[in-house]
Parts: sequence; structure tokens; C-alpha cells
Amino acid sequence: MAPLLELVHVKKRFGQVTIAEDVSFAVEQGAAVGIVGPNGAGKTTLFGVVSGDVRPDAGDVVFDGRVVNRLDPAARCRLGIGRTYQVPRPFDKMTVFENVLVAAQQGARARGGVSHAHALRALESTRLSDDANRLAGSLGLLQRKRLELARAIATQPRLLLLDEVAGGLTDLEVRELVDVVRAANAQGIAVIWIEHVVRALLATVDRLLCLAGGEVIGDGLPRDVLASPRVRDVYLGTDATAAESVA
Amino acid sequence: MTTGAAPVPPTVEAGSLPGVTRSARPTAWLGGLGVGVVVLLAFMPSIVSQADTSILLNFFILLTMSSMWNLLAGYAGMVSIGQQAFVGLGAYTVLVLADGGFNPVAAIPIAALVCAALSVPISLLVFRLRGGYFAIATWVVADAASLVISSIGSLGGGTGKPVPGLSSLSPKSFEQVTYWAALAVVVVAVGMTYALLRSRLGLVLAAVRDNEVGARSAGARVVTARRIVFLVAALGCGAAGALLAVSQLNVQPASVFNVQWSAEMIFVTMIGGIGTIEGPILGSVVFFLLQQNLAHEGAWYLIIFGALAVVIAIWAPRGLWGTATAKLRVQLFPVGYYVGRTRRRDRPGSAPPAPPAPPVASTV
Ligand SMILES: Nc1ncnc2c1ncn2[C@@H]1O[C@H](COP(=O)(O)OP(=O)(O)OP(=O)(O)O)[C@@H](O)[C@H]1O
Ligand SMILES: [Mg+2]
Repeated sequence: MAPLLELVHVKKRFGQVTIAEDVSFAVEQGAAVGIVGPNGAGKTTLFGVVSGDVRPDAGDVVFDGRVVNRLDPAARCRLGIGRTYQVPRPFDKMTVFENVLVAAQQGARARGGVSHAHALRALESTRLSDDANRLAGSLGLLQRKRLELARAIATQPRLLLLDEVAGGLTDLEVRELVDVVRAANAQGIAVIWIEHVVRALLATVDRLLCLAGGEVIGDGLPRDVLASPRVRDVYLGTDATAAESVA
Repeated sequence: MTTGAAPVPPTVEAGSLPGVTRSARPTAWLGGLGVGVVVLLAFMPSIVSQADTSILLNFFILLTMSSMWNLLAGYAGMVSIGQQAFVGLGAYTVLVLADGGFNPVAAIPIAALVCAALSVPISLLVFRLRGGYFAIATWVVADAASLVISSIGSLGGGTGKPVPGLSSLSPKSFEQVTYWAALAVVVVAVGMTYALLRSRLGLVLAAVRDNEVGARSAGARVVTARRIVFLVAALGCGAAGALLAVSQLNVQPASVFNVQWSAEMIFVTMIGGIGTIEGPILGSVVFFLLQQNLAHEGAWYLIIFGALAVVIAIWAPRGLWGTATAKLRVQLFPVGYYVGRTRRRDRPGSAPPAPPAPPVASTV
């Protein structure tokens, strides 16, 4: 089967800073892939390249066999690329339900009752049903992260890009989040998850990429990647301990 | 908003999901109230004096324009100071059609459509710019349109021309016909605004207003949404301009292309409450009350009104309606959604009664 997503020789620089020198990798349909890497490695930027927020200097993004380089974020979302942002981007003056409904109506192009059902199920799966009528601007951090996830799920994606959705959460909250992501993945949605909380990744993904210095410096089974000397080299401080504890 | 077949096959387990309505409270009485107000207004020419009828007519024209400006700026984030372009073009379309022997009143919807069509090439030009540059570009377009039309001799040049075709009517029936035309236009303008904001497009506009990047990544076509709003606003302002031509029986470039129209739209919307459907209605009422009470002082009403707009913009940016209803959460035009309580399967007795039937048709 052809891969769902392919990055082909992607190159991106911000001024003198190289974010991606020559990044190529493919993600299979329904896969669960984690991405780790030091702060500022360019992980979020790479998501932007996939979702259409960031224009690469060179290289191709191929989604489902189609080169999507020229498509804007909305068009890519409608093709099936759903993403969350590291810093949540809720629609503050709209209710939680309305936040998710826009995604169902636009991203999934659903109408009427079907769009309502998509939105309600996305809220249910992210345990936000009880907050459906609250204004998004009144939510706390955990719920904002969940809303970000619910919105991406409501677009009925085939590929879900999660950018540090577990950051700043308690152990229990992280476990709940892992359940949500695993449930989405079990439904056949491919997941790429950027996360510093390594144990969340280990509970979810079966493949890990490590990004550093504009390159993919590790790609394979999570344990192998975390144990590789090159990956351990770039990790210092807390991240090293996290990596150590599982290696 | 729910016409057409759903592209995604529904897989809804009936009963397991809560009901969705457009308001937490029943809203049927609001529809009744709306119909009542319109019917009452329709009888006004036989109730009040001719002078008052004419005041109401101008009120409808201003309300139409400010509803359109509110849609543009308050909902789609496009601050235009060139809406008089469409007011003028609407007025001149009526003049041209009337000169050709067409009934001026019947020309009003055509003028609106012409303005909507003209807004497409204009949007190609002004949509390249954002924020303040967009605002200035719209003004430049309006002035350019005014200059071009003033140079056409057959349209009366810079001094304008009377609109023929209605002189056979008695003053009384002329008053009534133009009044009803204006009432029809304002009802359609406000109704269209309401329908648009309740539709999927309305939800997109709200999302874009709150977070444009987030909206795009959720699949919202931002530029398409803005184009539709720009077109609708041109349609409404064109109809308002057409009404001016019909009710004044005269079209003058300096008057119909006057930037004062945009100023009034802005003041009315700011004072009433930007980003609410009710705002322009309340703002127009305040405008006319001030104008009637200060009319003998010349242009003072406009100066006072402008000052009031500035004061409100600084200290009560939500406007009179927005400030008054901030705590009450009253909505005469409910555009949001309300999710009923989940019917829990494990606690069958605890389910609250189902909320009132949604006013939106459901495709499921
Ligand atoms: N629009 C931009 N213009 C200039 N520099 C940018 C831009 N966006 C990101 N950068 C820089 O690119 C680098 C990579 O940023 P990015 O957010 O992709 O890293 P990251 O791996 O996601 O980091 P973190 O783990 O902290 O989230 C950083 O040095 C950042 O400052
Ligand atoms: Mg990041």
C-alpha cells in the first residue's frame, strides 16, 4: 500500500537557521508515529510544512499519492490532514460545541445533523461533552488541549498531527489523553505525535523519529531510537532522564 | 443551511447523542414579534403623517446600509470606508434603467444585483490589501467610481439628473410605494444578514474572527467567506442607493457617492453595537432621534453623533446593545447553538425532557 504521507527532500531555513536540511520520511496508513527532538529542532515547523502553514524552501509533501505543495491549510484539512497547535488556538467567543462544529462543517464538509453528530462524537471522545455549551475562552489548560484535539478529530481526518498535546498535564490527565489518541488511532486514523512527555509517546506509538539539527537522526522502534547514542547525545537534562528511564 | 445531500454517510445512533438547538430558550415568540413589527410598520403610512413616513423611509435606508457595514466589519473583519461606491452605483443603475423606460421601483432589485456583480472585480482589487490599506482602497474605488460617472454627460455629469417614470403617481401613493419598497429592502437586508449568520458561513466568520489560523486549519475557506460577505454587502448597499434614487427622484454624484454614507454606517454600528444584528437597529434609532431633535441646528446632529461614536468606541466598545446585554445574554436574533443535556443510558430516569425541536432542518 502506498504511504499516506511522504515528505520528500524537504528543506526549510529561517534566515541563517536551518530547520530542515534534507528531510525525507514516509508514514503508512493508520500508523502511529512519535516525533521527539530538542527545543527549537523544527518539529512544529515540520508540522506546518505538512499542514500548509509553512512553505518549505524545497521539497515535496505528498498526501495519499497527491503532491499537496500548492494547497492551502484549509484544502489540506479537507483532504484529511487534521492538526492541533502547540499553543491551542480556540475560538474564544464561541462555545465548545461551536468550535468543534466549524471543524465538522468545514473540514469534514458535513451539513446539518451529520455535522452535529460529528461534533458531538468528537466532544464525547475527548470527554468534553459536559462543557459543550461553555465559551471556549473560559476553559482551563487541560480542556483547551482537549478542545484542540476534538476540533482536529471533528474534521474526520485520515492523518492527525498532534503537537505537544500532553505538555503541562498531570499523570492522570496524560493517561486519559493517551486513551483518546489510541482510540482515534484504533479507528484507522494515522497519528503523528510530537511530544516531550516520552512516556505518553511510548504508550501510543510504534515508531519514533528524532529530529535534530535539521535532520532525522533516529527512526525506528521507540526503544531502539531512544537507546541510540546519537539520540542520547542531543538530549540533556530532563529529557535525558526521561529517555534513560525507558532505555 | 442544510440543503443538499450530505457528502458523508450518516452513522448516527439515534438517541445516543444529545439534541442540538439554536438557543437555550424557546424562540418561536421572537419570530412572532418580528412578524408583528413588520406588519405594524407596513401600516405606518396610513397611521402617521407624510413627514414621519419619509423619516421612517430614510431610517430603513440607513439601517440597510449599517447592517451591511456591520456584516463587513463586525463579522468579517473588513473595515470599509468605501461602501458609498455601491450606494452610488445602485442609484445610478436605477437612473439608467428609468431613463430606458423601466419602472424605477422595479429597478431596485436589479440595481442591487448589478452592484453585487460589480463587487466581484472590485474585490479582486481591494482584497489584495488588508486593514487600513483595505479601508483606504475602498474609498479610492468609491471616489474613482464617482469621478467616472460624473464625467458621463448622458448621466447628467457632475450635477446629476432627475429620475423619470414616477411622475404619474399622486404624492400620496408615491410616498406609500417608496415606503413599502424601503420596508421590503430593509426586511430582506436584516433577514439576509440573520440567515447568513445562522448558516455555516456565519460560523466560519465567527471562527475566523476569533482565530484565523485555527479556522484555516479546521478547513475554513477564509477568502471565500470574505468574498461572499463583500458581495452581500454590495448587494445591500446597492439596494439602499437605489432607494435613495427612487425616493429623492434625483441622482447627484456628490450626494450618492458621499463618504458621509460610510461615516453614518460606521457611527450607527459603533453606537448600537458592532458584531451584533441588533446593534445597527438600535444605532439607527438613536441616530434618527438625535437628528430629529437637533435638525434645526444644521449639521450639529452629525457632529454630536460622531462624538458619541468615539466615546462609545473608547469606553463601551461593544456599543449600547452589546453593553446592555452583556450580562443578560439576550439575543433577539439567536445565531448560536445549544446542546441539550446528554441522555445517559445508564441512568434512564434522569434524562431531562428533550429540548424544543430545533428550528434548523436536520438532514438526518
Ligand atoms: N516564522 C518563523 N520565523 C523565524 N524563525 C522561526 C519561525 N518559526 C520558528 N522559527 C524558529 O525555528 C526554530 C524551530 O522552531 P520550531 O517551533 O519548529 O521548533 P520545535 O522543535 O517545535 O521546538 P519546541 O520543542 O520548543 O516546540 C526555532 O529556533 C524558532 O525560533
Ligand atoms: Mg514545537
